Amino acid sequence: MADKMVDKMDIDAVNGEKEEVKVGPAPNLPAERIIINNFNLINQAVDAFDARFTLRALRSIATIRKADNFAEAIAVGIKTAFPKPRDNARRVLEDMLPERVRTAPGAGSEANGNAKEQDIAEIAEVWAYLGVLIQVYLYDHQEYKKGANFSTNFVEKVRSFNRRTMDAIGAKAYFYFSLFHENLDPKPPSKQSPVIGIRPSLLAALRSAVIRKDAETQAAATVLLLRNYISTADITQDDLLVAQTQFPTSAANNQVCRYLYHLGRIRAIQLAYTDAHDHLESATRKSPTTGPAVGFYQQSTKLLIVVELLMGDIPSRSLFRQPSLEAALHPYFKLVQAVRVGDLQAFLKCTGTYEPQFRQDGTYTLILRLRQNVIKTGVRMLSLSYSRISLRDICTRLGVSSEESAEYITAKAIRDGVIEASLDHQNGHLVTVPAKDAYSTTEPSEAFHARIEALLGMRDECVMAMRYPMNKHRQEIAEAAKARERERELAKEIVEGDAEGDDGDDGGFEGM
Amino acid sequence: MVGLVSAAGVVGFLSEPDQALQVFALEKLNEDIESVWTEVSGSIGQIEALYEDEKFSHRELAALVLSKIYYNLQEYNEAMVFALGAGDHFDIENADEYEETIVAKCIDTYISLCALHNPPKPASSTIGASESGDSTSSNPNAPPAAAMAMGSPTMPFSQAVLPSKSLLSRKDENTWDASAPGGGNAGVPGAHPHPLTLQNVTKKNLQSVIRRIFESCYEVGAYKQVVGIAVEARNMEVLREAILRVSKAEKSSKGKGAAHSGASQTDELMEYVLDICMNVVQERGFRNQILKLILELLNDIPSPDYFSIARCVVYLDQHAMASNMLRELIQKGDGKSLAIAYQLSFDLYENGTQEFLQKVMEELPESEEEKKEEPKANGNAVRPATPHPNEAEETDESTQLLSELQDSAGDAAPSSTILPSRTKPKAENEEQGKAFGSIRQILQGTKSIDLNLEFLFRSSHSDKAILNKVRDSLEARNSIFHTSVTFANAFMNAGTTVDSFFRENLEWLGKAVNWSKFTATAALGVIHRGNLSQGQKLLDPYLPKENANANQGSPYSQGGSLYALGLIYTNHGTNVLDYLQRQFKETQEEVVQHGGALGLGVAGMATGSEQLYEDLKNVLYQDSAINGEAVGTAMGLVMLGTGNVKALEDMIQYSHDTQHEKIVRGLAMGMALVMYARQEAADELINGLLDDADPALRYGGIMTVALAYCGSGSNKAVRKLLHVAVSDVSDDVRRAAVMSLGFVLFRKPGSVPRMVELLSESYNPHVRYGATMALGIACAGTGLDEAIDLLEPMCKDSVDFVRQGAFIALAMIMVQQNEAMNPKVSSIRKQLMQSLSDRHEDAMAKFGCAIALGIIDAGGRNCTIGLQTPTGNLNMAAIVGMAVFTQYWYWFPLTHFLSLAFTPTAIIGVDQDLEIPSFKFHSNTRPSMFDYPPEQEVKAEEAPEKVKTAVLSTTAQAKRRKLAKDRKEGRESMDVDTAPAAGKADAGEEDKMETDDVVDTAKVAEEKEGEGEGKDAQAKKKVEREKVGFEMENMSRVLPGQIRYVSFLEGGRYRPVKKPTSGVILLEDTTPEESKSLLELKARKKTTKPAAAPGMPGSAGNDSEMPDALRDLGLTGLGVGAGAGGAAAAAGVLTAIDEDEEGAEEAPVPDEFEVESDEEE
Repeated sequence: MADKMVDKMDIDAVNGEKEEVKVGPAPNLPAERIIINNFNLINQAVDAFDARFTLRALRSIATIRKADNFAEAIAVGIKTAFPKPRDNARRVLEDMLPERVRTAPGAGSEANGNAKEQDIAEIAEVWAYLGVLIQVYLYDHQEYKKGANFSTNFVEKVRSFNRRTMDAIGAKAYFYFSLFHENLDPKPPSKQSPVIGIRPSLLAALRSAVIRKDAETQAAATVLLLRNYISTADITQDDLLVAQTQFPTSAANNQVCRYLYHLGRIRAIQLAYTDAHDHLESATRKSPTTGPAVGFYQQSTKLLIVVELLMGDIPSRSLFRQPSLEAALHPYFKLVQAVRVGDLQAFLKCTGTYEPQFRQDGTYTLILRLRQNVIKTGVRMLSLSYSRISLRDICTRLGVSSEESAEYITAKAIRDGVIEASLDHQNGHLVTVPAKDAYSTTEPSEAFHARIEALLGMRDECVMAMRYPMNKHRQEIAEAAKARERERELAKEIVEGDAEGDDGDDGGFEGM
Repeated sequence: MVGLVSAAGVVGFLSEPDQALQVFALEKLNEDIESVWTEVSGSIGQIEALYEDEKFSHRELAALVLSKIYYNLQEYNEAMVFALGAGDHFDIENADEYEETIVAKCIDTYISLCALHNPPKPASSTIGASESGDSTSSNPNAPPAAAMAMGSPTMPFSQAVLPSKSLLSRKDENTWDASAPGGGNAGVPGAHPHPLTLQNVTKKNLQSVIRRIFESCYEVGAYKQVVGIAVEARNMEVLREAILRVSKAEKSSKGKGAAHSGASQTDELMEYVLDICMNVVQERGFRNQILKLILELLNDIPSPDYFSIARCVVYLDQHAMASNMLRELIQKGDGKSLAIAYQLSFDLYENGTQEFLQKVMEELPESEEEKKEEPKANGNAVRPATPHPNEAEETDESTQLLSELQDSAGDAAPSSTILPSRTKPKAENEEQGKAFGSIRQILQGTKSIDLNLEFLFRSSHSDKAILNKVRDSLEARNSIFHTSVTFANAFMNAGTTVDSFFRENLEWLGKAVNWSKFTATAALGVIHRGNLSQGQKLLDPYLPKENANANQGSPYSQGGSLYALGLIYTNHGTNVLDYLQRQFKETQEEVVQHGGALGLGVAGMATGSEQLYEDLKNVLYQDSAINGEAVGTAMGLVMLGTGNVKALEDMIQYSHDTQHEKIVRGLAMGMALVMYARQEAADELINGLLDDADPALRYGGIMTVALAYCGSGSNKAVRKLLHVAVSDVSDDVRRAAVMSLGFVLFRKPGSVPRMVELLSESYNPHVRYGATMALGIACAGTGLDEAIDLLEPMCKDSVDFVRQGAFIALAMIMVQQNEAMNPKVSSIRKQLMQSLSDRHEDAMAKFGCAIALGIIDAGGRNCTIGLQTPTGNLNMAAIVGMAVFTQYWYWFPLTHFLSLAFTPTAIIGVDQDLEIPSFKFHSNTRPSMFDYPPEQEVKAEEAPEKVKTAVLSTTAQAKRRKLAKDRKEGRESMDVDTAPAAGKADAGEEDKMETDDVVDTAKVAEEKEGEGEGKDAQAKKKVEREKVGFEMENMSRVLPGQIRYVSFLEGGRYRPVKKPTSGVILLEDTTPEESKSLLELKARKKTTKPAAAPGMPGSAGNDSEMPDALRDLGLTGLGVGAGAGGAAAAAGVLTAIDEDEEGAEEAPVPDEFEVESDEEE
């Protein structure tokens, strides 16, 4: 059921929250109106060479795909953009829509009625935008095979345009292109999956984007490749790719989130838990916590929890209380409980019960690594509770089979620095060194420092992401000018008033 | 499954000892490198080892794989190096992203490599070369001392050793220039593998790849690309080859029969190279190199493009070549060659300096004795061989010269009657003699000046109503207002010889005193500019008298008249220089000296005459504050663009010695002028001046940057200016620095608004003012929207002089624009009018408004402000005029210099007999697109405007004042009121008559119909009936933007010898045997009219007849006009003209003139 998770993540759900605010004022517009309005936005983007307008157009996809008449709306859009029925570009798009929509008479006449829409230039961007809508439509109707064929041609076409203004739309197109192929049988973990077949085209897309400096497409292609490699467990290639490419700094926030998430995943698999933790933490912090993007948030939180557990930390309880996470994270809550008390039995039971869920989340292999941690935690709990405890007791409490293995486990824990204790081999005792006061160490300040660093980083990013309005200062200047004007008027009136009295400035030859 | 999924296995093969396996692995990798490069990149070391292994059989394959890996790793330099090592495996024909990227890299590297091997010549040596070239070629008779001094351009500062730490210092410039042609990041360290680090083999491969690229370019005929690369790489061989190849290709295609396309291709390419060379290449030395090459090649090509050659020749100062070319053409003898020769002469005149033209004339065959004498006489007039020539002899000579010129200029078909007497046996035949005569005439400029004058006069559309409005709004008793009305009048009628405003407003004129009088008299020079035949005569009443009797007029009018005389003979001073010089030397009156200096400067512009210079210097050493400024500037004007080191030394020295700031400023400006268009050669001076403690000298330094780099768009000059604009402590210097941006960048007007956008919002009003002027100068005549958007808010600035600048700049930009081209023009005109009549507007701003109104209608709406000639060269007189004009900030009379920048916009067709035939050409636009701004609209606009002002002025006070005035002046005020109306009607009618033959009849009819109706109705009509394309008569106004729509009728009788450009065009008469209909020359007939004013010597001499008030003015000549006009004032204007025409009959021009000159003795 990987696609469910994908579904939650796929759309620009990361932007969903903003979208609600922005498109908010006019949510009642019919879908076809929104599409046609978006044509104008795209035209504007092309004219002004400003990608923001395109992004705004793409953002509304989430709204219109929910409309009942989504297909009809697309058909109207196509008819508006390409009034000529014989148009090849139009035919390609319309072939993907169901027959009934294509021939719906009402839509066509309406488009013709809107005379002012006629002047929309038949530009490539509009065509590509409609193409993306078609992709969304096909995906929503689970026509993966058809979608995959369409997308393959579509992305090739988009790439051949070689237009900078196509960047954002192209990124979207590649996203769906990859998504369709992931849903074709055999599904990814299989080495026969079609996803492997699309790697060359993604790599080519990445190369083109780098050369053409298309940051959006570059980011999208990188992320898709990472995801592609992970899906078939080609972690080495993944790692090499990360090492040998640079992720564009100007990439959109949602792409950065995804990139960090994938990176965290790679690092977790490679046992680099600290790195993984950093990446995942940024990814979860950056991702929105509500709205349609919540799926991504849940997914990255799950992975984060597992990584934290692997690092020997216990996630805070408050994490699980968040309304958006509570239900989804229930299995992990159980898991954490088991690990926290170091209860191996509970742990095994938990993994047994929720195995399908974990497998679906892609965390199962990582969770299996936790067994060691559970034991270690158990040992730690024991060493905290008892200043001296016999190995036999440890056996019973931890559910270890023999005293030898208990001795082995505790010795390992001592060596790893999990507990500060010594083993009394003669008597078979574990003797704990009395715990020091945590506040006498540098640990609190280090934790504090880490927190501050994270926040400062976030602040810097926010500042850098800010856009300052163009020519804002102009307004002030204009206002000042107006004030001066008023002043002058006033002066004029005063002088005029004075002039009533005396007989003007016949004073004579000034300046001669 | 496509290709490899993982390269791990294949990579493993690479370490196998068996070569076959390794080769297999490489082949496999090469196929799928795109998808597996991440895995292979770890094994780069292994593959490199294979590549370096001499024994390995497939080294090139290894290189290709390596190149692709590096390409994927974004290490393009390595990728390129290995791709070059891959030999044939690397296929540039395969147009994929990889190949494209590598090829682009190759070209970049090639360019930087070549640029490294052909470094820009050290600036000093370039200067030295050009300097010595100048000195040998330009001044063969120059004193040896001067020649020696010229050898070392650093002389003026050799005493004070200057730390060259400024931005312009040589070292910086060198490194910067080296990287400049590469554009982008060519010079940034690390952007390329340093060319020297490349191995020789790689270099060789690089060369061969580039060669392949060039070859493929040649195959598809993409010569421009090759030329572009060659120019960037400073590679002359490639450039030469490209041009030769194109001509060869042309020849071969000619063989096939496709002659036309081929021929145009060569021309097109040459045009392109020339264009690049003049506009893109910034470094003078390199530019000269290219030009020389072009010249050489142009001569090799069988059908040379004479006009391109002429451009090179002018730039390179190759006068011998120019004269040879002319000679050859004339010796061919057929009509077409003759026409080309004439056209060439016109082009040479337009682009060359006086000095250059003189040389060309001297070298023309001495077919006629008298002709031979003439240049000599000219030369003597400029710099007599003996310092104190016998005066009688000299004047004798000059009279002769004058009369001769009078003859040739005065007669439309000059040679027919005179030539026989001139032609000496030496002439090969009469035809040729005649041709040389005509060429001389053209080169002297008389012909084009005459033609322009004719055009300006016959199609003058100046709107008297505006002028009257200006006069009425400004209180004449205030000298600044009086002066500003004078300027408005002068600009509006510049060059049209229509000076009726003065005659009709004697009362107003009478209020001019002191320097206002000077300015008003000088305005006559602006109005009559180019009226060579009658200039001196015209001014005779004002000019200082030879025998100093009691009747001497006011020194102000005398000074002004000398200045006016200079303006009339601007840049064409051979006839008057000796007269001016004599007057200048004789007088002790400072004001007269002031006027004389300015006159000498303008008329003797760029003559480089030592004699004039010495005279000016002598006066300068009197250390008078009144004339010092003018003298300093004049010295610069005389030495314009010569870079004369001796002059610079003197000027620097004196500017340090004197106490007067005015003199320092004059000299500073003068130094800037001396360095006109010298570019790098001026750097030393610039550095020296900018480091000076005296702000006036730093000001001069900035002006030197402006003039030396004018139109070059040089980045370093711009950088320097911007730096000074924000860092200098003196407001004056900062203002000048911002303003100078306009000079440097006027070829790229679009870039200026962006550059000064922030400066225009500076807290410092001086910087803001500078920004307005920069925009005005750079965007003059373009109507650029961005510039207007910046300037419009500045019209409401809180500081008066910023408003002034904004008004002037707006007018400069909007000159000749009409509603159809720029809808804002009417609102701007309206605003100017409004500010002018606003009582509370500051005097400075009103001054700006008045000048702006003059500029926007410059030269009877037939002139634009063009700092470059139609062929794209620098228009020297215009640039200098503009630069000196900006000095009006300190000294109002200098405002007149702006008239030098006015360029008539007309197509004047001339046939090979130098006559003006009547014929039509086609303009493929709607007639309204480039029409004159509607006159009636101004009137219609004025009517409500007047009501409005009436409302404003119906304040009790204004009424009272008016009443009082009325009481005092009786009915005179009524006259003032009626005069404009009469003038309007008159102007309207006159215009109608004149336009009749100029504009096609449909338009006139339309105009007539539209007159009575409202603006809307008219506009509507125009839209309805206007169709694209209409025909125009010869000698009608064609705006710069219109030229590309102009075409000559295919089957017409007259065909132009070159692509239509603005200005004089020679026409080839296809049917010379037919009789031709010529245009009637109106100016000739009418110009006798103004001549009549002074042409009544009886009344001029008889002062007692004049009203006392008028004599007090000292404006004797005008007084006469006044006598005529004033008496007739009540009767109206028409009678005044009648009377003048009567006078005309009394004074047949040429003889009268000769007599006058005799009297002068």
